[in-house]
Amino acid sequence: FRGCSGGSTPSTAPPRLLITAQLRYTPVLAQSPPLKGQTTTSTFVLDQPRCVFQDYGNADIWLVVALAPASSAFNNTAAPGTPETAFQRFPDPVRAYMTLNATLGSYPCPKPAGDITVLRVGSETSCAEDTTRPTCNGPLPGPGPYQVKFLALQGSEPVAETAWSGEIMLKTAKSPSSISTTGSGHSAGMIAITTILSILFAILLAALVAML
Amino acid sequence: MAKSDDCVHILQGLLVFGNVVIGMCGIALTAECIYFVSNPHGLYPLLKATENDVNAAAWIGIFVGLALFALSILGIIGVIKASRTLLLVYIILMLITFAFEMASCITAATHRDSLTPELFLKQMLENYQKSEPANNSDSEVTKTWDELMLQNHCCGVLGPSDWQEYTSAFRGTHSDADYPWPRTCCVLDAQGLPLNLDGCKLGVPGYYNSNGCYDAISGPVNTHAWGVAWFGFAILCWTFCVLLGTMFYWSGIEY
Repeated sequence: FRGCSGGSTPSTAPPRLLITAQLRYTPVLAQSPPLKGQTTTSTFVLDQPRCVFQDYGNADIWLVVALAPASSAFNNTAAPGTPETAFQRFPDPVRAYMTLNATLGSYPCPKPAGDITVLRVGSETSCAEDTTRPTCNGPLPGPGPYQVKFLALQGSEPVAETAWSGEIMLKTAKSPSSISTTGSGHSAGMIAITTILSILFAILLAALVAML
Repeated sequence: MAKSDDCVHILQGLLVFGNVVIGMCGIALTAECIYFVSNPHGLYPLLKATENDVNAAAWIGIFVGLALFALSILGIIGVIKASRTLLLVYIILMLITFAFEMASCITAATHRDSLTPELFLKQMLENYQKSEPANNSDSEVTKTWDELMLQNHCCGVLGPSDWQEYTSAFRGTHSDADYPWPRTCCVLDAQGLPLNLDGCKLGVPGYYNSNGCYDAISGPVNTHAWGVAWFGFAILCWTFCVLLGTMFYWSGIEY
């Protein structure tokens, strides 16, 4: 028989290089209009990534929320909806979870002027304990700091990602017993009333004694 | 003699006039204090819960006002009749009334000074929407705050951030993600529902009340306290002059 002289038969499919495009966009907290609830003790508000994923019309755009020290360790091949990226197991043992799945249609470009286009991270309280919903957008368990990025997945492969955001710190609530109510001293009016009336009363008593 | 008679008559006239003014001011003081005690702005539950009875000064004021009115009549009679006994009784009772009114003024001013924003903030955080109200006064605090926030379009004592900066009884039963601040802080429509719940939760200007309620509280409280304190002070200054004149007149009456 005739065999190959060596080497292996080359495959007919061309080799595919998996390069995740690094988009030049950094997720930021929503700045305009000024929102009072931009960061609360368990939620924060991001600007939607408008006009960022224009070339990826078929992709699912996910938000990755990570504890700031663990952001660099996040592997883009992690799949959403699995226990490794489930919200319910965040922050321990899962250090980064994926949520807020959307397609390009949810982020039309350009953004209409006057529209408030934000994403509120932490707004879904109903599924926070529900392990059947690992992609729940549940309230964050602590003040952070957190970092987020957007990741576009086509099928199960990452095709584009934004940069990691800056560190996002949430608010910490103090106990009301730390409020000091001992007062700021006495006002000028009260001191004036007290001194003048005391003097008047003393004069009257002296006059009474002198009179009798 | 005629000149001295004239002086005496002038002094009598002045004393009668002084007593008439005291009588009228006494009635006015009583009326003012009754008005304050009747809780016209619905803030009494908040003030009661702060363990300072701001109304104490007003209650004293009611009785002092009536006493001043009665004593002024006694004084007028005593001056006209030039009776040493009546005038002595008048002077001593007036001094006692003076002391009580002095206490009322100082109490009103001191209690007013103790009503700082921090006091109301702590009370609101600890009592608003307490899930098991220990007694009636806690649920009254909640009702009073709700009405205050609805009528004055305000939120919290210093602002909605009060609910974020501190934990509270409210926060114990309402999650931060669903209720960053109470629903009464939202701009409500005619049915009493938030105009835009998401807008309110996000804190979009126009869908929530951004200013604090402290001004709405301190306005009436200030009027109350300073009304009692300064009006009482003015009455006492006038009474001081009348009393000195009466003592001088008394010492000039022959037996």
